[in-house]
Amino acid sequence: MKQFILAPLLVNALFAFDFNPQMQKYMQQLTQEAKKQNSNFSGFSYSRGEQIFTSKHIGKKGKMITCTSCHGDDLTQNGKNISTGKVIEPLSPSANPKRFTKVKSVKKWLRRNFRDVYTRTGTAQEKGDVITYIVNKK
Amino acid sequence: MKKIFVLLLVAGSLVYGDGWFEEGFSFGAKKAGVKPVDNKLYIEECGSCHFAYQPGLLPERSWKKLMANLEDHFQTDASLEEQDRKTLLAYLIKNSADKAHQYKRSKKIDRSIPSSQTPIAITQTPYFKHEHYEIPKRFIIQKEVRSLANCAACHTKADKGLYSESFIAIPNYGRWDDD
Ligand code: HEC
Ligand code: HEC
Ligand code: HEC
Repeated sequence: MKQFILAPLLVNALFAFDFNPQMQKYMQQLTQEAKKQNSNFSGFSYSRGEQIFTSKHIGKKGKMITCTSCHGDDLTQNGKNISTGKVIEPLSPSANPKRFTKVKSVKKWLRRNFRDVYTRTGTAQEKGDVITYIVNKK
Repeated sequence: MKKIFVLLLVAGSLVYGDGWFEEGFSFGAKKAGVKPVDNKLYIEECGSCHFAYQPGLLPERSWKKLMANLEDHFQTDASLEEQDRKTLLAYLIKNSADKAHQYKRSKKIDRSIPSSQTPIAITQTPYFKHEHYEIPKRFIIQKEVRSLANCAACHTKADKGLYSESFIAIPNYGRWDDD
């Protein structure tokens, strides 16, 4: 029963995240591209994003790696770059308001990080899904 | 008061050896062994994954080679937009070790590399190897340091371009006395 009540709340939360104008435009572009690539596309998904962010893959270095290898499981906490040891500030905009404010930076890191983990760039749908996950994860 | 200050300087020069001349007190300020980074874009972009290495730590040919392959940068993707890549390469070239012989460390690094070689790691240059081969491995692989590439873990004023012995503190070891 509880789940029935929670489900609509969660969907609302997804749409509630308040992107600035340049990020809103970027999310719209990703939506359009995703529709073009997949006629069944019906919006970005938190759970697909979670799968993208937490699943393990043989990455660029030929070793198992996931997005959480550097960003951690709790996105409101600091992460640590597994290649260099340098601290990475929280990815969650709730803990770090600078995140997801500059399209240029988001594009750059998604390109780099997808290549490190998936040895390819992400599709529009994957990028939208993973952003949806990161900004809404509590 | 002044006398005490002078005395301290003299004592310092005895203790630190050539450090006094290279990076010691000149008119009260410390002269860097390598020119500190003075470019905001460089610190943002090249300091996001690791310490922002000073351009004066490698010669021009090394920076050109490194900046030509950022997609596969030490097995990680560090690719940039073309405009930013060009801006940063120009900054690196302008301040590279071969053009910064007025800085003692830059000169030594540059001179140590045979002209037939183009290392893209500072840690692979002969001068660097010569300065660091004596450090026991356990101090390098410990989690506070991890790798010799992590300059600032031991050189407490690395960001100011100050690498002399007076500014070295190895985690879980302390001051380094070279004798
Ligand atoms: C090898 C370490 C590493 C891995 C693995 C990694 N990241 Fe990152 N990521 C970073 C670093 C470093 C930054 C930039 C840090 C900073 O700005 O302080 C970053 C930044 C980001 C940003 C930037 C947000 C913004 O507002 O600019 C996003 C989004 C991101 N990562 C998503 C991901 C995703 C998705 C994955 C998995 C496909 C991933 N990361 C895997 C290291 C990593
Ligand atoms: C996405 C992360 C990332 C970014 C951005 C990045 N680097 Fe690196 N860099 C690395 C990693 C990982 C290493 C290997 C570090 C190690 O061995 O500990 C490295 C190593 C280096 C080294 C060799 C260090 C040594 O002597 O062993 C140099 C020089 C260097 N980077 C320069 C740069 C410059 C210049 C830029 C900006 C154009 C840059 N890096 C941006 C990840 C990055
Ligand atoms: C594990 C700690 C450690 C790390 C990491 C480290 N160094 Fe050093 N470094 C030392 C020690 C100790 C010495 C002094 C060696 C000696 O005199 O016997 C030294 C000496 C030097 C010197 C010569 C200083 C002098 O007084 O002659 C330079 C220049 C230097 N390091 C630069 C670097 C740079 C650049 C990096 C990063 C790429 C780096 N070091 C990383 C510990 C470290």
